Amino acid sequence: MPVDSRRIQGPDSSVPFMLYSSREKKDYKTVKSEVFKKGLRKDGRKWDQHRKVYLKTSVVTQAKGSAFIEQNNTKVICSVFDPREIPRKSDYSVNGELYCEFKYAPFSCLTRRGHQQDAEEKEFSLILRRALEPAVCRHEFPNFQVDIYALVLQDDGSALSAAITCASLALADASVPMYDLVASVTLGVHDDLKFLDPTAEETILCNTSPRTLQNHGTIVFSYSASQQQISEYAQTGAMNLDCITSAIDILTRACDDIYPLSQQCLVKSVAKSVKKKKKREEKLNRERAILADENEPPTNE
Amino acid sequence: MEDSAIFNVQEQWLRPLRCELNVLSRPDGSAMITQGSYFILCCYVNTFLYSYRVHIFFFKGNTAVVAAVYGPVDVKPQRILVDKASIETVYKPKSGLPNVADRMRETIIKNTCETALLSAIHPRTAVCIVLQEMQDSGGLLSCCINAACMALMDSGIAMKFLVAAVSCMISEDDIILDPSDKDLMGSKASLTFVFDSAKKNLVASHTSGVFSQEQYHESLLKCRQASCEIFEFYRSLVKKYIICI
Amino acid sequence: MDAQYKVIDPVKFYRDHLAHKIRPDGRGLLKFRPAVINVDSIGTADGSAIVKIGNTTVVCGVKLELGVPKPEESNIGWLVPNVTLPPLCSPRFHPGPPSDEAQVASNMLAEILSNASVLDLRALCVVPERLAWAVYLDAVCLNHDGSILDACVVAAVAALRTVRLPRVEHDADKDITKVFPDERSSLPITGAPIPTTHAIFEDEVILVDPTSDEESLASGLVTITVQNDQMCSVYKPGGSPLADENMQACLSRARTRAIQMNNLIEAALAARDKEETKDQKLIS
Repeated sequence: MPVDSRRIQGPDSSVPFMLYSSREKKDYKTVKSEVFKKGLRKDGRKWDQHRKVYLKTSVVTQAKGSAFIEQNNTKVICSVFDPREIPRKSDYSVNGELYCEFKYAPFSCLTRRGHQQDAEEKEFSLILRRALEPAVCRHEFPNFQVDIYALVLQDDGSALSAAITCASLALADASVPMYDLVASVTLGVHDDLKFLDPTAEETILCNTSPRTLQNHGTIVFSYSASQQQISEYAQTGAMNLDCITSAIDILTRACDDIYPLSQQCLVKSVAKSVKKKKKREEKLNRERAILADENEPPTNE
Repeated sequence: MEDSAIFNVQEQWLRPLRCELNVLSRPDGSAMITQGSYFILCCYVNTFLYSYRVHIFFFKGNTAVVAAVYGPVDVKPQRILVDKASIETVYKPKSGLPNVADRMRETIIKNTCETALLSAIHPRTAVCIVLQEMQDSGGLLSCCINAACMALMDSGIAMKFLVAAVSCMISEDDIILDPSDKDLMGSKASLTFVFDSAKKNLVASHTSGVFSQEQYHESLLKCRQASCEIFEFYRSLVKKYIICI
Repeated sequence: MDAQYKVIDPVKFYRDHLAHKIRPDGRGLLKFRPAVINVDSIGTADGSAIVKIGNTTVVCGVKLELGVPKPEESNIGWLVPNVTLPPLCSPRFHPGPPSDEAQVASNMLAEILSNASVLDLRALCVVPERLAWAVYLDAVCLNHDGSILDACVVAAVAALRTVRLPRVEHDADKDITKVFPDERSSLPITGAPIPTTHAIFEDEVILVDPTSDEESLASGLVTITVQNDQMCSVYKPGGSPLADENMQACLSRARTRAIQMNNLIEAALAARDKEETKDQKLIS
């Protein structure tokens, strides 16, 4: 194994302590009955109920634009930087590029994540890029790329969806020209059960269903509500056509609910920055008056 | 022995210091500093045409560093600085890849040299300082900084002042200057200071271990005194080399 | 007007401000930014803390794993501190391997934690030569606005204070390990090293707790770490030479700051404990 000399190294191999847990391992059936009991999920939601979403813009002052999203225990932060020239590119490209990086913080999941991007994170970066590209006016910045970084601080399911919603808001906050905002929602499917915005436990259930089931898996669905366009559809697992059509129906409605939240958040942040600007100008004028008093203006002779 | 200088500190403050300039032919300036005890074996090697005289150095429990300086040279486009030369430092450990501790050493050396150099007179260029650790038996950082300073001086690049690094350790009751690795075993804290030759002010400081503010101040004063000896050594070194040139 | 001036000639912009003994963000020269500490906010981590100093934000999370101790030191566990400065936190960083700044920060964090002997590594050993805890401590910067080390170390100490180590049983003969996640005890953390960063501007003016703009313009930086009124690191990586009286003033200032910061950590931990007991009451 190559040693990463740029970081402080731990033991050659270490395992999460939960593997040795003295707690009894639950079999699949009990997990299923626990996750969905009497029409309610563990956290008391109905199957088609989204978690409460908290959005905030301009959290990273050093970035051009940024946003933070919280869906109960799923927390993602996103920042967007000024367009810069595409490195190592000689020919002209008509459309600007989006560079997306999706990363889990080492402590964000149940098991520790490595520092380097793994295959899953690379795939998610790609999905993130594909979800955002249709919403950005890329012809406005030819030959340039906009960097978008998403960092998951805590993952309790649907982290990718949260990152897409968050990143679109961060792009808007960075005043990158856009056609529309993108809202994204995940749906977990398990046999006859569907979970909108699944938690980590529900995601695991949906992804590890026995093969005999016809429908199981997760769908990450990104949607531009005002344009009524699906920008990205990423599915894992297998589902029949009826299931997919009904899922898209459910997901479109869910995205329509999330979309106004992003909009409101954006409106709030614009209002705030306008107010701030006014205040700053007032302060500046005051300071200028003081300075003018201090240094006598040079008199022309 | 004619092209090197040995400096014996009178009051035995520092371990014997030995420096050789121009040890490497390709760089613009180079220096090898060894600090500690050593002995030299002189022998003759006879081939059928020539007879060589070879010095073999036996370094016993000392710290040795070779430094090389290239510059001002061309700089990579992304590192270009419009108002001054960019300083690049490469620190090579004895074996293996540099780790994070070496990276920090590199940063300290780089920033120290940056302060000492008049980098503003060579804008849009780079000055590259390469350090190779040969052996470490205490006081590696100070040895590196001294070697880098000597190599810079040897390269003839314009400098604001010279710098001298001195390390010391705080044991139970006492402050010991320039400890060897054996001394360091019984230390509470070890400190390295770098001083400039102009005002003898503190340029860089790196410490490990726990100590009080008074102890820090005391060590600082003691090391400053010792740094004068190193500057004196630099002077005697230059005097010797002037004769060689 | 202000913003344009800053872009055109940042050095003069700062010089003019500092001549009036005020910094562009409205602080005095020796004034610290407000700090906020929040502990145990990341549920997936075994211990965590978020520290905000002004705009600088650092999240520190601890993950516990089990590994085999080093053969040469078979009775101690592992503490693996790393500082990550992701491209997210500042336009200065780009994707790829850790920047030099991140590597130096990681090393400084490790040095400070070991100098101050914050955690006795022997307490992490379960069975010598066989099993030991590996404490992975990751400080991730979310917003890089200067004095990053101050935030990292405070976050690391606060996060370590929140870690609850589960009880482990190891049967050496059968090589069976059993962990009891419901029986936990806190780590033996002693002391809290607090670093204070100073910036030297144009060889003369000393600023405390610099922002990232001030750091980039500064001609030198000094970071002094204090624990229990003792110094555990005085780090000045080159830069403008500093006279003794200035250095002494910096050291004294760092000592006062350490007391304030310590109180802040205690307050954050106390607030969490209060909440926990409240939760327990609600359950019972």
